[in-house]
Amino acid sequence: MSVGPLFLAFFQVLIAGLLVGAIYGLMCVGLGLIFGVMRVINFAQGDFLMLGMYFTFYVVSAFGVFSFLGPQAAPIAGALLAGPVLFAGGWILHRLLISRVTGTRAAAEREAGQAQLILTLGIALILENGALIVFGSTPTAVHTPLSWSAWMIPFFGGASSVLFVNKARAVACVVSVLIGAALYWFIGRTRLGKALRAAADNSEAALYMGIDVDRAHSVAFGIGTGITAIAGGLVATYYTFQPYVGFDFVIIMYAGVVLGGLGSILGAFWGGMTIGLVQQLATLVLPMQLQNAAIFVVFLLVVQLRPQGFFGRSAERV
Amino acid sequence: MLEIERLSVSYGGLSALREVSLRVGAGEFIALVGPNGAGKTTLFKAISGTVAPASGRIRYEGRDLVSAAPSERAHLGIAHVPEGRQVFPSLTVLENLEMGAYAAAGRGGLERSLERIFALFPMLADRRRQLAGTLSGGEQQMLAIGRGIASLPRLLMLDEPSMGLAPTVADLIFERIAELHRDGGLTVLLVEQRVAEALQSCDKGYVLETGRIVLEGPRQALLADDRVRRAYLGM
Repeated sequence: MSVGPLFLAFFQVLIAGLLVGAIYGLMCVGLGLIFGVMRVINFAQGDFLMLGMYFTFYVVSAFGVFSFLGPQAAPIAGALLAGPVLFAGGWILHRLLISRVTGTRAAAEREAGQAQLILTLGIALILENGALIVFGSTPTAVHTPLSWSAWMIPFFGGASSVLFVNKARAVACVVSVLIGAALYWFIGRTRLGKALRAAADNSEAALYMGIDVDRAHSVAFGIGTGITAIAGGLVATYYTFQPYVGFDFVIIMYAGVVLGGLGSILGAFWGGMTIGLVQQLATLVLPMQLQNAAIFVVFLLVVQLRPQGFFGRSAERV
Repeated sequence: MLEIERLSVSYGGLSALREVSLRVGAGEFIALVGPNGAGKTTLFKAISGTVAPASGRIRYEGRDLVSAAPSERAHLGIAHVPEGRQVFPSLTVLENLEMGAYAAAGRGGLERSLERIFALFPMLADRRRQLAGTLSGGEQQMLAIGRGIASLPRLLMLDEPSMGLAPTVADLIFERIAELHRDGGLTVLLVEQRVAEALQSCDKGYVLETGRIVLEGPRQALLADDRVRRAYLGM
């Protein structure tokens, strides 16, 4: 039995969509955590992604720190290490700068929102141009044998019809899902995770419970930064990047977070997944250049029909 | 237990509290009454640290409270049940109570606290897995009080617990607060606009008007005072 080529192509892009979607999902989770807990529009999120990419590149390709793990596992280890390192970076950044315009200190000031926008935009510019000075403008990538190898899955028995699953993306997908699940558990089940959600819901009441809201925000900002950096490290195994790469992703991240429902971690993941699927499925019917246009058509449709996003709550009593 | 001396607070030049002095002894039930905008909530926020005093002292169990970080104050045994309930809407009832027990004192005794809270407000037990944002106003108030006592506080501060509630629900809330004081030996500082109910159950009361204490005294004296009777009790 032979399967129509269109049918095969559909499953091929569906798989591609799921793989990319999981990584987009992880990026969105990082941003969604920061936005959900702190209500800060962070323009620098794409640049944290970029830092995760360069971190992985230098640790793995330039210095070969993990070369003992072999060429397959080293990039994954590098990307995972980017998490805690950029967690620390995000924590310090929040302590030194972001906390001046957010949280309890800013609660009394009406214009804090504008200060937040200017500050994160400034951080984004500094990170991008700093990266340009330090890393140079030459596009680069983390080389791994997985990037150009694929699993071939026989499809409906036909010898000629085979589905290709890129190994680098498949591994990145699995790691993304695992980290996303771990974060979901942390936010939902642990005491600190619940305190983060309480601080997000009502920071004043959280203070009355004895929750150090500024510290909770530092933790959330650090985790959000670290998660996005891991996603960056994973993307770097199959995507060429330069210091301005954050821009390619930051719009996708925001679209995913809004699509999933602001403030929902699970929603952010599915929002990112939806964008990955739409982006890949669109290639079936639209030219490559319109991939991202398709994302925003779907985005507008969803927001039109369900303004609160997939997992957002439409209304609640106060 | 709590001593406030000549406390003044102002918001951008507008003074909200002017040289307010107040004492809460251990085990006492103190009511603070007065009209809207008198500064009652501001006084609570100054005690909890979410507004900074312009001058004056707040001492709690002998230590200076103004120098303590706002997030430390719950750990010192002060529970603040804020105006308008302010439960965590996207957390379940049970998670709200767990957050109530965040302060060190309540953490070890969460199980026992829960038993006590559910005995006080059986409705909460039935709804423990429900999101707090979906509760009715009365249930949210019960949750807010439950969350307050989950930390096993020594001082319970309640800001307008009857606000926006049906009279029967408000009565139930007042009864429970009186019970907590009487049977639990809890020190209670209650802010209320329903002056009659508040004064009925207190040991001692203060009347706050436009940022100043205009009257203070034991329950009987306040209930007998002509000004209180005319202005607040409608007699």
